[in-house]
Amino acid sequence: MPEVAIQTQKLTRKFGDLTAVDGIDLQVAAGQFFGFLGPNGAGKSTTIKILTGLLAPTSGSMQLLGVDFAANPVEVKRQIGVVPEGMGLFERLTGSEYLKFVGRMYGLDRATTQRRSEELLDFMQLADRPKTMIADYSHGMQKKLALAAAVIHGPRILFLDEPFEGVDALAAGALKALLARMTERGTTIFLTSHVLEIVERLCSHVAIIHKGRLVAQGSLEELRAGISSEAGSKTTLEQIFLSIVGKDGTERPQLEELSWLT
Amino acid sequence: MVDVARSVNLFEQIRLVSALRWRILRNSLRKKNNRLDLIGLIFAGVFSGIFVIGLCFAFYAGAYAFLSQSRLEWMALLFWAIFLFWQLFPVFVAGFGASFEFRTLLRFPLSLRAFYIIGLAYGFADFSALASICWLLAMTAGAAVAKPGVLPAMLLIVAAFMLLNVTLERLIGSWLERLLARRRTRELFLGLFVLSMVSLNFVSPLMQRYGASARPVFLRLLPYLSWFPPSLASRALTAVIRLQPQGFLLSSALLLFYLVLLSVLLWRRFAAQYRGEELSETAAPARAVVRPTMAATDDGPDRLSLLSPQVAAIVRKEFRYLTRNGFAYLTLLMPPLLILIFSMNSAGWHLTRGGKGVSAEIFFPGMMAYLILILMAPAYNSFAYEGRGIQTYFTAPVRFREVFLGKNLMLVSVLAMEIALSLAMLVWRVGLPSAHMLVATCAAIIFTVVGQLTIANWSSITFPRKMEFGQMRGQRQSGMAVLVAFASQILMGGISAVILFTGNWTGNLWLPAEAFFFLAAVAVGGYFASLDELTLLAEKRKEALTEALCR
Repeated sequence: MPEVAIQTQKLTRKFGDLTAVDGIDLQVAAGQFFGFLGPNGAGKSTTIKILTGLLAPTSGSMQLLGVDFAANPVEVKRQIGVVPEGMGLFERLTGSEYLKFVGRMYGLDRATTQRRSEELLDFMQLADRPKTMIADYSHGMQKKLALAAAVIHGPRILFLDEPFEGVDALAAGALKALLARMTERGTTIFLTSHVLEIVERLCSHVAIIHKGRLVAQGSLEELRAGISSEAGSKTTLEQIFLSIVGKDGTERPQLEELSWLT
Repeated sequence: MVDVARSVNLFEQIRLVSALRWRILRNSLRKKNNRLDLIGLIFAGVFSGIFVIGLCFAFYAGAYAFLSQSRLEWMALLFWAIFLFWQLFPVFVAGFGASFEFRTLLRFPLSLRAFYIIGLAYGFADFSALASICWLLAMTAGAAVAKPGVLPAMLLIVAAFMLLNVTLERLIGSWLERLLARRRTRELFLGLFVLSMVSLNFVSPLMQRYGASARPVFLRLLPYLSWFPPSLASRALTAVIRLQPQGFLLSSALLLFYLVLLSVLLWRRFAAQYRGEELSETAAPARAVVRPTMAATDDGPDRLSLLSPQVAAIVRKEFRYLTRNGFAYLTLLMPPLLILIFSMNSAGWHLTRGGKGVSAEIFFPGMMAYLILILMAPAYNSFAYEGRGIQTYFTAPVRFREVFLGKNLMLVSVLAMEIALSLAMLVWRVGLPSAHMLVATCAAIIFTVVGQLTIANWSSITFPRKMEFGQMRGQRQSGMAVLVAFASQILMGGISAVILFTGNWTGNLWLPAEAFFFLAAVAVGGYFASLDELTLLAEKRKEALTEALCR
């Protein structure tokens, strides 16, 4: 039986009357490239925030790599890397300074931090502006730097909230290659993205959250089989997604509603 | 088929923009502190109204008196006063952040002509313009009552003067907008502004010393001012009263020349904006031909090796933030500068030689208390500049006690440096206090700083408020954080003052030093004991903290 990287039991998060995450039971095996999908406001980012320690759950529990998060948060955090929703960058540092800061925060020695940050800046094509502060980076550059910071300590689980948003095609290709290499080496990647084509291409397993509830979870093949036996392997992830999310009456907006465009 | 929007006339566009500005103002009052904002706005409105109307009477009386007593040259003073207010007031306001972004209108189908006229119309809606127009009208009324025949010429001159002022104000505004669009220049501007305000304190002692010798230089420069618009407006009016048509025509032509020149410059600026001038923070893209060497390597010996890697990383990060915050630089510059100013103002230039003024026994602890008051204030909202970076502290494998240790260590280092600098300044200006006072004050510094750090750390977690580098408007600290800072500063300062005086009351001059050493030891113990509690509190309050700082 494969090692479980992420496991949650009845994970719930409420904001006043709103239940953003409603008792979800996730199970992600080690080494999986896991896509976490859902419409806007479904609870994806809230879930990632809980799993990475940025948000406390209202109830429920979670274990990462078999360690209970609530009991030993520092030990868990040492094993994970995160690109949070807002990227979490210190904008008054240069890219190089930020990577060195993060490396040292994760307990890497100075020489290793120095070497890895140089390599990562080169790989991310950020090395040509050593004196530019992060505040002056473009959105795409900030995203690449956030990803570099998330992997500098060689995490065993990587949480990525919309990692490809605002990143150009060239850089996205390099990032995908990096992520693929990491999964080959056994890193578990937990990714949210609105671009379903990317998820379909990269992820072996997918979970769909809708209105705070986990409505589907499994490998792509399992999900395809779940919605239609006829469609078979030709069913795209977008079709699966629309089919599952649309079950409760949530429909795609109809153009006919715009009278002046008819 | 796609509908094409009908063209909207200029007045309709101006009306729409006015309505937009009104809605922006109205919606801004809906925020959390809307009641306080509204009360503040009403107070500001009432006081501004009193200020404007009061000065209207002054300008009316001034114009009436100068014209009826035939002191026509003095009219230039009134024009200069209005000119300087109209041009300088918006500059001071601009330094504290941007208000409505006029350029955002460019996404709409506006012609360049409409853009220009709306831009000018905007200029008339500013407080400085409205106030100045009121004062100019009051001046016109005063002049017309004193000499009714001057009214048509006065109206013409005032109209041209208004147009010139609004054009110049918009021009300066658009240059400033370009300047302040970049963070570095914005900080520099803010720094220069604050520095110039502080420098005003030097005016009095400098005037005392150099006033007499500077007067002839000032008088020699005065005639050159007559070629500037306010003097030209005054000269045109004088020429009308003295029935000198040539003088009137020359002054009016020069005034008109200024107006045309400024209008051309403003048209060029607005045209550049209209074409989509780039004002963003991001540097122009550059293709790197050769990979440059890394700016700074960490190959040298680790000067912070005594600290844990996490604490050392936070100290380094804090130091880098400090070196990149122009405003923080200014705060650091302020204590020695203020010691210089206070010593000059309270005792004159020859304090040490003449032996007059305050004694070092009072001045030294007083100045140290003032220094701590200034430098400790940011500690009560120490995460203000972290922004989204605060998330890193929660996702990284560190406990918050390490974060506090790193931050506090940096602050204490800065304080130590500032105290040393201020001490040097004090020795130069006032002299050293007695040994028992010196030792007691140093121990008191340890007690008050460490004691306040514990409270400040709690306040930083409990009442966080995000701040932006290089901006002051909209950069309000949490009211509670200010209150906590104020209360703890008063408490610590009060305790210290009472203990300092016990030496004299009891006749045991070393008693305050002994008492402060005891209190300092208690404060240090309390500080370290509080770190674990604060770590737990930070964990409990992480959502509020990230929400406040990431917005």
